[in-house]
Order: sequence, then C-alpha cells, then structure tokens
Amino acid sequence: MGPIAFVKEYWRFLLLVVFVTAALSALFVPGFAMGDDDVVLDEENQTVDENPTNLEYGLGLEGGARISAPPVGMTVSDLAIEHDEQNDVQSAVQQDLGLEPVDVTVRFHEEGNYFTIEVFDEDTTESEFAGALQAADVEVVEAGGEREVTGDDVENRVTQDTRDQMIETIELRINEAGLSGGTAYEEATLGGEHYIVTEVPGMTSDELHELLTDRGDVRVVAYHPGGENGTHTNDTVLTRNDMSQIGSASYDDRYGQHYVSVTVDDTSAEGERSPAEEYEAAMNEYGFTSQGVGQCTIQDRQADEFDFDHPEGDQQWCLLTMVDDDVVDAHPMGDDLAASMYNEEWSANPTFRMIVPTQQDAHSLAVNLHSGALSAPLDFDRDQQYSISPALADQFKEYSLLIGVLSILTVSGVVFLRYRDKRVALPMIATAMAEVVILLGFAAAIRMPLDLSHVAGFIAVVGTGVDDLVIIADEVMDEGDVNSQRVFESRFRKAFWIIGAAAATTIIAMSPLAVLSLGDLRGFAIITILGVLIGVLITRPAYGDILQRLLTDK
Amino acid sequence: MGTFDVPDIEYTRYSSRQLLAVPLAVLAVALLVLGGTFVMTGAPVPLGMDFAGGAQLTVQTTSADAEIQDAFTVEPDSIQAVQAPDVDNQYTIQFAGVEDDDVISDLATQAEANLAQDGDASIVQSESTASASFAEQAQQTALLGIAAAFVGMSVIAFLLFRTFVPSIAIVASAFSDMVIPLAFMSVADIPLSLGTVAALLMLIGYSVDSDILLNNHVLRRQGDFYESTHRAMRTGITMTVTSMMAMLVMGITASLFGVELLASVGIILFVGLAADLMNTYLMNVTLLRWYKFHGVRS
Repeated sequence: MGPIAFVKEYWRFLLLVVFVTAALSALFVPGFAMGDDDVVLDEENQTVDENPTNLEYGLGLEGGARISAPPVGMTVSDLAIEHDEQNDVQSAVQQDLGLEPVDVTVRFHEEGNYFTIEVFDEDTTESEFAGALQAADVEVVEAGGEREVTGDDVENRVTQDTRDQMIETIELRINEAGLSGGTAYEEATLGGEHYIVTEVPGMTSDELHELLTDRGDVRVVAYHPGGENGTHTNDTVLTRNDMSQIGSASYDDRYGQHYVSVTVDDTSAEGERSPAEEYEAAMNEYGFTSQGVGQCTIQDRQADEFDFDHPEGDQQWCLLTMVDDDVVDAHPMGDDLAASMYNEEWSANPTFRMIVPTQQDAHSLAVNLHSGALSAPLDFDRDQQYSISPALADQFKEYSLLIGVLSILTVSGVVFLRYRDKRVALPMIATAMAEVVILLGFAAAIRMPLDLSHVAGFIAVVGTGVDDLVIIADEVMDEGDVNSQRVFESRFRKAFWIIGAAAATTIIAMSPLAVLSLGDLRGFAIITILGVLIGVLITRPAYGDILQRLLTDK
Repeated sequence: MGTFDVPDIEYTRYSSRQLLAVPLAVLAVALLVLGGTFVMTGAPVPLGMDFAGGAQLTVQTTSADAEIQDAFTVEPDSIQAVQAPDVDNQYTIQFAGVEDDDVISDLATQAEANLAQDGDASIVQSESTASASFAEQAQQTALLGIAAAFVGMSVIAFLLFRTFVPSIAIVASAFSDMVIPLAFMSVADIPLSLGTVAALLMLIGYSVDSDILLNNHVLRRQGDFYESTHRAMRTGITMTVTSMMAMLVMGITASLFGVELLASVGIILFVGLAADLMNTYLMNVTLLRWYKFHGVRS
C-alpha cells in the first residue's frame, strides 16, 4: 500500500493521533499554552515546579474566594440636560437628597446620544429620586417633547458604564492587594439584572468581603470654625478627582509618620482655577494658613479616637482624611506648608503628604486612592459567596483524579465482561481515554480554569463516549464477521447516524446550561458539549478505523 | 470472573396493556410522591441551599457531632463526616432555607467561635452561601434551563423521526426518566442542588441515546420487529449498564469523600438510568410495537 492510499484509508485514525499528540504537548510542554504571559510571574512563586501539567485550576481546586452581588443603584435615562449643565444638575440632585458627591453620577452616552442620572444609595426611594429631579427642573425627553420625571421613570439598575468602572476598580484593588490571578466580571440574570462576580485565589471569604465592602471614597475635609456665628463646620476641599498623581504607602523615619504622598492637579481650563489653586484658596480663606496653623487637637493618636465634642470656644482647624464615612486622620496644617500656601506658591508645585496613624492605614489609603472609589456599592443582602481553603482544594484535586480513574476502571471492567474480546474492548477503552486527553489538552491550551464541575463533565464525557463506542462495535460486528470493506463502511455509516442523532440531543440538552449563568454548571455543560463534539468528529470515527483494521481480514 | 449477558424478554407473551402497566404505575407513583411533597412542603423536592438560600460549610474540628449541632444559631439540616483516606475530623454541614442574609453570613463566624480547632488547620475549610434572593433567581434560571433543554430535545426527536408515535415515545420516556429520580430525591431526602440539576439535564441526553437506538433499529431497518428489538436491546442495555456502573462508583466514592457535586451527579444519574432501562424496554418497545403492527396502516 502506498503512502497516499494509506492516508486515504486510515485518515480518521491518523487524525486522532495528531490530536492526541497536540493535546499531550499542550498538557506537558512548558509554556505551550496560548498567551502564556505570566510564566515569569509563576517562576517567582515557584508554582511551575509544583504543577507538572499546563492545566489551570479554578477556585474550587485551587483555593480562594468568590463573591457575586448586584450593584446598588437607580437610573433615570433620556434626560434633557445641556452639556454645560452636567455638574450643576449633579450637585443639585446630590444636595437635595443629602448624599455624598460619589453617590450621584450624571453621564452622557455618546452612542445613544442621551443623558442618564444614577443614584447609588440604598436608603433613597424612587419617589425621592424623582422628586429631586423635579426640583432640579430636569425633564425626560419623549417622542412628543419633554415631560416631568415620575417615580415610574426610575429604574432599579445602574448603567453599563458604571458596572464597567466597578469591575475596573475591583481588579485594580485585587492587584494592589498583591494577589495575582484574581478577576472580576459581570453576569446577567434572567430578569436582566447584573451581578458583579469577583474571584480571588488565595483569599478568604472575609478578606474578599472587606475588599469589596469599602466604597473607598477618599476625601480631605476641612473642619474649621467658619460656620454661622463661629460654629465649627465641615467643607470638602479635595476629592480623588482633584489628584493627578498618587505615591505608594511610605514611612518617614525623621517624623515617624506613615503617609501617602499626593500631587494635586494643577492644570485648568482657560479662565478657571485649577484644583490646586482652589485648594490653596480654600485653605487661606478658612484660616488654615494663618490663625489655624498647628491648631488641631481633636485626635487622640494613642487611642486612635476623635473628639468632635469640644467646647465651641476651643477653635480647631483640622484637615480630616475621610474614607467613606470614617475619619482616618485629623491633623493641622504644618508651618512650612502653611507658609507656601499663604504666599500662593504651593499651587505651582502642589504636592503634600496624607498622613495616617498606622502602616495598615497607609496601605489601604494607597489602595483606595489608586483604584478610585467603587462607582456603586454592592448589595450584600442579595449575594452569593463561596470560599475554600487551599488545603481542602488540594484534597479535592486528589479526589477528582481518584474518582476519575475509578470510573474509567469500572467502565473498562464492564466492557471486558461484555465483549470478552481484547480486540474490541482494548481499543474501546483507549479511545475513550484519548477523548479525555484531547479534552484536557484543549482545556490547557485555552487556559480554561478547571473546577469540580468540569471534572463531573469529564466523567460524563467518558460515559457518553463509551456508549457510542458500544453502538459502533455492536453495529459493525452485527450478523457475523466483517469480511469486506464495503460491508464495514455501510454498517459504520448506520452506526454513525445513531451517534450523530444522540450527540445532537445531548448538545441541545446541555446548551441552556452553557448559556445561562447558573454558577458552576456552565463548566459542566461546556465540557460535556466539547467532549461530545470531539467524540463525534474525531475519536469515534477513529475507533471505527481501528475496528476495521482488526476485524476485516487484511 | 462473572459474565455480563443481556437478558432476553419474551415480549410476545405479554399484551401491550401488561407491558405498559409497570412503567406507567411507577410514573404515577413518582408523580404522586412529588405532588404529595409539594402539598406538604410547597416544593416537589427538598430544595438545597443553591435554590432556597442558606449555607454549606466544610469544617475541620475535633468537636463531637452533638457539639457541632449546637454550635450554630440555626439548626443544621445535615452534618456529614468526610470519610476519605488520610482525612479525619472533617464535616460538611448544610443549612438550607435560611431567609435572613445576616444569619447566613454569620454562620462561618459561629463555627470559628464555637468549634474546637484541630491542630493548626483552619476551622472553616470551605464556605458556600447563597442569599434568599440569589437562590430564588437561581431557581427560576434552573427551571428555564430544564424546560428549554426538554423542549429542544423534543424538537430534535420529532425532526429525526418525523412520525408521531415514535417521537412521542422518546419524549414520554425522557419525561419519566426525569420524574422518577426527582421522586427518588424527594423520598431519600436528597436536596435539589446545582449538581442534581446538571444530572437531570445529562439524563435527557443519556435517555435519548437508547431511545434513538431502539427507534432506529425498529423503524429504519428491515426485518422482524422482535429480532430488531432484540439487537437494539443488546447494544442499549450494554450502554446503559456501563454508564450506570460508572455513575454508581462515582456517586459512592464522591459521597464518601464529601465532594457533593460529583456525588449528586453520580447518584441521580444512576437512578435515572435505571428508570431509563425500564421506560425504554417496557414503554417505548410497547409503543413501537403498537405503531409497527397497528399504527402504520391508519
């Protein structure tokens, strides 16, 4: 037989060999996987040595935590707002509802050419929101013209832009926390709701919960006796948006201070003051740079407590570092900084240190400043959490392997008992295993993180795979020996009709799970569908070739 | 070494009514069980934490069973010791149907506080919680998934055979194959989880395999009905029994090891495949026989 005829006759078998070889190299050759960009990083952690294959493991087999929760927020869209009114509307609504600046966002959506307003606060009702918009004279654009906003216009959701920002912020926070491999993504539910899912290997549930609960809205608030009749009052003088550069958590030996150094934005539009100039002016106006220098004693650094309950006569000029609703630090303006602000020189080189009590505070302040505030808080009353310790995850890895091996042994045993013919049974088992190898190789190549649900999928694939091989074997050996290629081909084709039909139904039955967001089950469905496809297209035809070679007398 | 031979049923000795009586009676009992449970509890099968809200903890502790039972403000639904090699003092604890999310998120803290630590291993090894609203949403999604899978399967069945009786036989058998394991779950008090839903969907695939095989042999090939049926049975029973054995081994080992997902997939598929044997070779064969001898002419 010439080489061409050989290939023509056994192409199905050759295809299987090619695929198994490719799968094995995807599994075992280091650095084979697509987009393998973190090999360097892995080497630092020495995980490459521990893992003999290129398989990636998901949370359930690696250890870590996952939290899914929907964002809190309401949206009104299609609003009649002029571009230059955006900020006014934002602050009008925010003040009417008594919220912080981060809790109200006005967005222009270029694609649809419309405005939305979002409120991110659990305690605000739909009618309060609508009322605030009415008070601000903002109307809804309709086909017929513009009309007043009502409670019915308020939707219980946040915009896609907000969710995208949240995911970005969360990913930045995970990276700042120094953990690799964490991800955040969104998942849509049937009701059109969106859940934000965060997964971080190597974290506990509590740690992840803490990372996500903090809104991380950092502000500098001036506490000074500039209110009515000399009462003390709070004015927000700097927000995250005013800062252009943020350093890392640092320690100053000379003063024994933990701090994060910050540069305030000194660029501005024509004819307007830059944020740095605004800040400088506010400091001068409130008296921080004159009578208030060094006048702040409300913080007890030893006990880490703040005392806002001092007599009105005891005048205080404090710069409060606030994260969300908590005061982290309160300190006066120092001499040097006060002098350079007083002379209006500081704004030309606007950097300062945000001083905090402990190293831990400095670190979390830096994380919050770098990642920015979470656009909307997450609703933990409607969450789902999963966490598993690395030790238990390792156990599960062993168990999965053991359960998989036991299942394959069982299947092999039954097949041997049934056929009692090595020529039929051995290739059958080998083919079923080849299917799993190809599937594993595929998973390694696309770097699909494997979880317990995928393991269940692999075992299901072995099950359906052997079913189909039994059909092929029985069909081909039907009615006595196979003595010609023509007989073989016709019987094989008949068997293939059944297999194809069965595969089509399995794929149809599994596809809802692959599409719907039902937690772990997506992995199971995807592996099962892939397995059935690989089986029908590659391995099961090849088994036909093997049987033909063994049964027809050539 | 034993042998594995496919049994031979003398179909000619039984009337259609006799053959159909068994699967229909089992199906009726299963539906009664599901209906009864629904009336009593508001759900046809016990709902696990995935669908009712609640928590599942895996803990490593030297505390005794009774102490674990008392460690929480909510009474656990079940406490199961993990029986894997090299593992001692490990338990999985289930809480289903907890409505209050604060209570749910507090369970892990209670475990840390009230259970005795085993060496230096952390007490809570794994924690999985679902709030009531998340669970409700998952429930709807799962129902839709099952419905979509079932409808899709029915459409394919009709497209493949394009005749009413053989197609409806496939659909009926798949329906019964899902209802019987559901009733089994209700009786054996196995809660419906994501894993069991996956198993039910997988069952649709497995169930249709043997039905298609049977229909194909009887309808698309020439030859005597009983001869065709016999050949289809030989292949079909081999298939189903092989899968059943694999699932049984997986179900037993996984439940000993405390790998809940794999355990429920294994056990439900085992029961479902057993139901499939009965449905395919008593119900479908009878329907096909009726169709072959009476239905075609009309």
